Amino acid sequence: MSSHESLQQGPQDPRTIIGFYRVDLAYKDQLALRNVTFNVSNGEFLCLTGPSGAGKSSILRLIAMDAFPTKGQVIIRGMLASKMNRRKVPRLRREIGFVFQDFRLLEDRSIHDNVAFAQLVVGIRSAEIKRNVMRVLTQVGLWDKRHRLPRQLSGGEQQRAAIARAMVNSPKILLADEPTGNLDPVNAQEIIDLLFRINDGGTSVIFSTHDHQIVKSFGERVIVMDEGRIVSDEQRKTAVDRSASLVDRMYRPDPAGTNSNASREAAHV
Amino acid sequence: MYKGAQIRYLMGESLAGFHRRKLTTGVTILIMGSSLLVLAVLTLATLNLDQLLARARASIDMRVFLLENLEPDQVAELQPRLIVIPGVQGVHYISPETALNEFRTSLGDEAGVLDLLETNPLPASYHLELTAGARNLEAVRAIRDEIAAWPEVAEIVFNQGWIDALEGWSKRFRMANLITGLVVFIAVVFVISNTVKLTMAASSRLIQIQKLVGATNGFIRLPFLCEGMLQGALAGGLAMGLVAIAGHFLSERLGGMVFFNWEQIAGFVAFCTVLGLLGSWSAMRKYLTLRSEI
Repeated sequence: MSSHESLQQGPQDPRTIIGFYRVDLAYKDQLALRNVTFNVSNGEFLCLTGPSGAGKSSILRLIAMDAFPTKGQVIIRGMLASKMNRRKVPRLRREIGFVFQDFRLLEDRSIHDNVAFAQLVVGIRSAEIKRNVMRVLTQVGLWDKRHRLPRQLSGGEQQRAAIARAMVNSPKILLADEPTGNLDPVNAQEIIDLLFRINDGGTSVIFSTHDHQIVKSFGERVIVMDEGRIVSDEQRKTAVDRSASLVDRMYRPDPAGTNSNASREAAHV
Repeated sequence: MYKGAQIRYLMGESLAGFHRRKLTTGVTILIMGSSLLVLAVLTLATLNLDQLLARARASIDMRVFLLENLEPDQVAELQPRLIVIPGVQGVHYISPETALNEFRTSLGDEAGVLDLLETNPLPASYHLELTAGARNLEAVRAIRDEIAAWPEVAEIVFNQGWIDALEGWSKRFRMANLITGLVVFIAVVFVISNTVKLTMAASSRLIQIQKLVGATNGFIRLPFLCEGMLQGALAGGLAMGLVAIAGHFLSERLGGMVFFNWEQIAGFVAFCTVLGLLGSWSAMRKYLTLRSEI
């Protein structure tokens, strides 16, 4: 789906899970987003890219309802963020998972407890917490290391633990803010493959990165941002083989050269 | 409602601040305990003064001295007139002879000096017993003013000076208590607020993650509120404990001193717990917003 098509369909499209319509966001006097319009469909994998300060994190903050638009409309799962009762925000956040560059795990708790914590605070029963934690830690391959503290794991493993925590409440949307920023290519590949698997399960994934090598290797929809504006919003024409290694994809020569506008834009980032 | 696992977590987190910052928490409780000790001592002094005042009031009586040379009928007529005065519950006649005997008894070994008197100089009088409601300066003065106008009455005496002084001190102590209470209130709320802010700053990552995974503000706040309340209760308990120890050592020197009863101790500790709650609430009002700062 092209950007124009998605705009025309608007928030009424039943597939739309996130809608931005002419959104401005200002921090004090500084405008972080300018006239940003895009939709994300249910189950879509979206890559946000652009240099630091381009507005990627601001978009994620608006989706998380950690900030509210200065102008325009943000619609999350059919609800207008600016009109939402602030008391309902925690409940809506339960439908969104977050992954960050710096993992943000609780250092004094085991991996198991870090993941269980996300269930505990929302009031899931103990027996169910045990089942769910086992499920997600097995999915990310950390069940055997569940008793370890975060510092006893590699960066990639910590990020997988963070993803397990984000996924344990079965969110509809996963926001990943530079999740590969602190990782080497091999670990980055693992994380992106994991995000693809999560997306294959039906969760919408919004992935922000300023790493143009990763963007180039993507066969997904890519929004390129600069100075708070959307520079391009492209669905890559060629589907990428998700089973292929990211390292292969990143360093494999592109037979068609730079095969889309978005990748050309990203290459300048 | 919170579930079992959540309640265990909340209780653990409430105590975690104590465990993680033993020194800060200890110093906080000591500072608050000292402030509350001042309040407790003043409250105890007021309590004792009130007790003294109550005893003095219970002993308020009035002696109506009669003129000499009254006929027995005139003296007898006064009794029914006195008993109907509002606030008077008993009227006892004291003849000059009875008064002399009382005086003799009160002199003890020195009573022999009265044998030197040729005639009994003491006048006849009525001793008025007052109702509990009339045992205050205002009522006593009203009764005195009414009786003083009677032509048969020579003089009316009651322990006015002592009661005046006691009431004055009681008022001053209440005022001091109020002012100290206000100062202590502000100080304790401020100290607890700062300690809870420190705890929150140290738990910022935990708070952030709680917000991100959709914990309600109530859930996030509860451990901090409990921590403040616990600090307040412990500081109140410390103040009460110190007063009790001091009271134990001073009780021999200060005979008849009243100490707090269990209800008053519980009330004081509950008051300190509420101060703790207010302190932690004021800390969160400013620092715990919806924002998760992602």
